[in-house]
Amino acid sequence: MILRPVLDDIRTIGYFLGKIIIGLGLTMLLPIALGLAFKETNPVSDFLIGIEITLLFGFILVKLCSTDNDLNWMQGMIVVSLSWLAAMVLGAIPLYLSGHWRSFLDACFDAMSGFATTGLTLAQDLDHLSRTHNLWRHLIMFIGGQGIVVVAISLFVKGFSGAFRMYVGEARDERVLPNVVHTARFIWLVSLVYLILGTLALGLTGILNGMRPVNAFFHGACIFMAAFDTGGFAPQSQNILYYHSLPFEIITIAIMILGAINFKLHYHLWNGNRREIIKNIETLTLFATIAATFFITALGLERTGTYPRVIVLFRKGFYQVVSGHTGTGFMTIYARQFINEWGNLALVGIISAMALGGGTCSTTGGIKMLRIGVIFKALKQDLKRIILPERAIVAEKYHHIKEVFLEDKQVRSALLITLAYLVLYFAGALIGMFFGYPFLESLFESTSAAANVGLSCGITDTHMPATLKITYIIQMWAGRLEFMSVFTLFGFIIAAIKGK
Amino acid sequence: MNIKSLLNPVAGIATEIVYALLIILAGALIALAITYL
Repeated sequence: MILRPVLDDIRTIGYFLGKIIIGLGLTMLLPIALGLAFKETNPVSDFLIGIEITLLFGFILVKLCSTDNDLNWMQGMIVVSLSWLAAMVLGAIPLYLSGHWRSFLDACFDAMSGFATTGLTLAQDLDHLSRTHNLWRHLIMFIGGQGIVVVAISLFVKGFSGAFRMYVGEARDERVLPNVVHTARFIWLVSLVYLILGTLALGLTGILNGMRPVNAFFHGACIFMAAFDTGGFAPQSQNILYYHSLPFEIITIAIMILGAINFKLHYHLWNGNRREIIKNIETLTLFATIAATFFITALGLERTGTYPRVIVLFRKGFYQVVSGHTGTGFMTIYARQFINEWGNLALVGIISAMALGGGTCSTTGGIKMLRIGVIFKALKQDLKRIILPERAIVAEKYHHIKEVFLEDKQVRSALLITLAYLVLYFAGALIGMFFGYPFLESLFESTSAAANVGLSCGITDTHMPATLKITYIIQMWAGRLEFMSVFTLFGFIIAAIKGK
Repeated sequence: MNIKSLLNPVAGIATEIVYALLIILAGALIALAITYL
């Protein structure tokens, strides 16, 4: 028997949702401050309208649903899934008001793409978008990469058990520190330290390439936020190709990989446990899978003869593979080159890289390295069972901060999430095919959306069918939250309709 | 605050950057070499 949710459930959900929305509204102060500094009056007014609606909505929810109750697991999960949808709608308001998006759905698509750190965009005339709006596009990636709930936890929420439930609902199943508030603050510490280093490195490179200092550091900060949070937006429509700079590409490769590293691993490395990076199952798997997917891509590119010079093949191929694998979506080629010049084999290499993703408890999407490593270890264990005598005890272990013995429940969990991702990738591809796009192109774009990557082979365009836009929005949302809180929301809706 | 506690994050960042740039790059170069062999 399904129990119908009671009013108390809805009040508790509404109260915490309201708090998160207020937190989101306050982050709009940053683009407003930048807009005032650059005297961008019209963009500032877009944000004043956006912040007003967001804060009003948040305060009304908090006031109407005021409660002392703590969140239970179900409520925590629902708060998370709803807060991402609310962030999409409210975060899209200033974007839509800029006039650079053809419809509110397009602005919602970009807002979800930003929050989910995907990087697919439907913006029109991006090269003339104001700095204020550009900062917002990149800031929502920064917020989404850390996690909307992580932002709220670090700012407003005291260390209660409900905070942990929301934290888990946001696809972060590992706590860096025993206290979830301290974990959230450590995530911010790592991000802010790298924000300073990364912006400096990219800004100075920009200046050396002839950009004006203010512009160079603005681009540096934006590109850093998109790279470390494995997002993929860029201030210019040509993405990273705009800069035509090898140092810029090398720095962004480093930042993308840093963003794909588990925050728990950052913590251990920063506290002196430096050998962890060469022992950890995630970094070992990332090393192997980047090499393997690059091998497939390079083989494909070599067959098609797209890049006769090896050095160019390496520069273009490796960049796209790292960008896809870390779930960033930066591009140093034009979207249609994937289809017209790269050939099917290279495309399969990139799709595989995108599907795999980076570290758990990082800012990436996709299946993730820990799960791939666990599945590989399980396969190895089963092979050993076949080869060794029946009486032999076969125990497999892996290193993830500490030595862990492989258990069936870990393998089951890894396989279930992997299966869910594969279904999501192929479901999106089927819908793409329904609208007439070829299989490989549909699978490419669908995987890119669901694994929160942002590489595009050209399907993502303002003229694509609205149903496909909504499909990609759902894929980005479900893929970023790793299904559980999304499934809980659907369960809640069913319980509200059919429950007793 | 002792010097060691300050140096640890710096050495940690250096380790991460070496991994991000050199180790991953080495893997890709091996893959490239196999492609052309």
